[in-house]
Amino acid sequence: MATDYTHIILADDDEDDRMFFTDAFDELKMTVKVTTYNDGVYLMDYLNQEDAILPNILFLDLNMPRKSGMECLKEIKENSRFKDVVIAIYSTSASEEDIENTFIKGANIYIKKPSDFKVLKKVLSNVVTTNWQYHTNGLNKDNFLLRL
Amino acid sequence: MIIKRIYKSSWFVKVVFVVSLFAIIFIAGLGYKHITNLSKSTEMVIHTYKVNVELEQILSYLKDSETGQRGYIITQDSLYLKPFIEGRKKVNNSFAELKYLTSDNPEQQKNLKELSSLIDKRLDNLEIASNYAANDQTDLTRFKDVFQEGKNYMGAIRNKLNYMISIENDLLKKRKEEYVSDARFTPVFLYSLILLTLVLMYAAYAKINSNLEKLKKSNQQLEIFKESTNQSEIINKHGSWRWNVEEDSFYFSDNLFRLLGEEPGSFAQTIENFMKFVHPEDVEKLSSQVDEMKENKDLPFIVYRVIHKSGDTRYLKAYGKSTVNSEGITQLLGTTTDITDEIDHYNTLEKRNQELELNNKELQAFNYVASHDLQEPLRKIQTFLSRLEDREQDNFSESGKKYVERINNAASRMRLLIDDLLQYSRTNKSDEILKNSDINKLLEDAQQDLAEVIVAKNATITTVKIPEMKVIPFQIQQLFGNLIGNSLKYSAKDRNPIIAISYDKVEASDDQQLSKALYDEYHRITISDNGIGFEQEYAEKIFTLFNRLHNKDEYSGTGIGLSICKKIVDNHSGFIFAKGEPNIGAVFSIYLPLV
Repeated sequence: MATDYTHIILADDDEDDRMFFTDAFDELKMTVKVTTYNDGVYLMDYLNQEDAILPNILFLDLNMPRKSGMECLKEIKENSRFKDVVIAIYSTSASEEDIENTFIKGANIYIKKPSDFKVLKKVLSNVVTTNWQYHTNGLNKDNFLLRL
Repeated sequence: MIIKRIYKSSWFVKVVFVVSLFAIIFIAGLGYKHITNLSKSTEMVIHTYKVNVELEQILSYLKDSETGQRGYIITQDSLYLKPFIEGRKKVNNSFAELKYLTSDNPEQQKNLKELSSLIDKRLDNLEIASNYAANDQTDLTRFKDVFQEGKNYMGAIRNKLNYMISIENDLLKKRKEEYVSDARFTPVFLYSLILLTLVLMYAAYAKINSNLEKLKKSNQQLEIFKESTNQSEIINKHGSWRWNVEEDSFYFSDNLFRLLGEEPGSFAQTIENFMKFVHPEDVEKLSSQVDEMKENKDLPFIVYRVIHKSGDTRYLKAYGKSTVNSEGITQLLGTTTDITDEIDHYNTLEKRNQELELNNKELQAFNYVASHDLQEPLRKIQTFLSRLEDREQDNFSESGKKYVERINNAASRMRLLIDDLLQYSRTNKSDEILKNSDINKLLEDAQQDLAEVIVAKNATITTVKIPEMKVIPFQIQQLFGNLIGNSLKYSAKDRNPIIAISYDKVEASDDQQLSKALYDEYHRITISDNGIGFEQEYAEKIFTLFNRLHNKDEYSGTGIGLSICKKIVDNHSGFIFAKGEPNIGAVFSIYLPLV
């Protein structure tokens, strides 16, 4: 298995957001492999394949048709196969309720989609370069929402 | 005072009647005694006369005997002896009579005895003298002696008789006196007693009369009260009933009939008839509660439905309580009220509440739309713009660059509006709980959020120590954030901002602005600055939604920030006031109740 690049998956139903996401990584020129899925059902179909290559970081949009990010998060956390996957919530809203719920369900970080492409690049590079082993140990509700 | 009290007391009449009764019995007794005395006195007088007559009689018989004896002595004719012999017999008869008459008087008995011996001696003497005469021995000295002796005896008898008569006369005199005093005293006493009784009877009569008058008045009052009760029953839609459990008899007030949609008295007052009106679904419930009432004698509130003949369904509420009346009869007193209107109002209110809840839900849904769905396209517009600026900068003409910049400004402003509106709608009291919070910490956090601007504007903020308060922490932090942010935003261009935060405790009565205060004491936190200030006439207007005093080209803003402040303070049952002076500064005073 190749370990020289970071495997990243994004599940988001919004085409523009998927484009910003891949464009940002393209411009960042990082050694990453980005795969995107159009909703939660596609994502889980892929992850549930036995030979699926599991991502290092999974970006989950919350508001998706068919299967929401919250449902995906729940399924993933219930399956020990995915215990090493870092889960980043990637959502338009940053309501207290959503932040609280995803934190309790075991997500690693909450990202509010920025409205500036430069900021987006900065956020994504930050998340990818974070030492998650270390970060997860010190995780608490205050630093759960990513602030830049 | 005491007399008045006695007169007023309820037992007065009874006492008067008892006293009068005794007085009459006494009078009757006294009258009887008086009459008995009178007849006794008469008897006594007759008795005395009889005694006297008999005594005189004795003397006269003795004289007859004496005369007969003398005739015999002179004539020696035995014819004259006859009265002498008869005289003795007659004296004996009179003696027996006298003995009987004076049987109650020991003194006279004693006298009688002495008299008897004297008379015996006299008669014996007469006999001796007669014997002398028969033997013709009248010339003897002996005879003369006997004769003399007889004369002496006669004198003694006469004395004795006179003495006895005088005793009887004395007795008569004494009895006469007694009788006279009795006769004089008794009528006066009786007369005054009758008068007194009459007075008492009159007082009793007056008392009964006044009692009757009072009773009449009370009856009138009761009548009025009954009528007003009837009216109040009609106006309040309630009826009353009484239930004598032992006799199982009912009394329904007029309005109770009306509550059932019937004319008063239109059916017999029984529980069965009443039950006919009860809604079929409620009959069982009501019956079981009626049975319970019989046992417990106290009725809890019952709500049940009745159906009028017209088909109307009405809701009734009943309450009953057992009481014991003055005759010792236990009965249940109850009140039944028509609560249909209340229930209708309640239902309407419930419906309104549901509508309101629905509205709130819609509002929340709108919040979500605003926070998510509206933000999404806006965010994309902004991201695309940032990409345009980043990558296509060189391909734009000057005016193209200007347009992009304008679009960017407009988009930023829209974001600000959406964010502020969201914040405003989130600042609801909802179910946030007030908790003891360190105000100093909240103030510090608020400053922390504004750290960048504070540094950029080179602002000085001074604070004092503020005690703990019971607040919704995140709202108070936001309140401080908004106010300090405001001071920083509206700072004067020619001087560094100085913001002073102070605290004190005030009595609501001491502060004119707190005329509508609900609490006695308030915390007052004031935030004053040296910014551009405002005209005092806008002091209230600035708290209304979307109200702005400045053109948005001069100062960015949505006109929502101070509205949020006002809402937060309202949530805490507090007050916020602003004071401004153009180009000098603004002072915001926050009053939070001391609880």
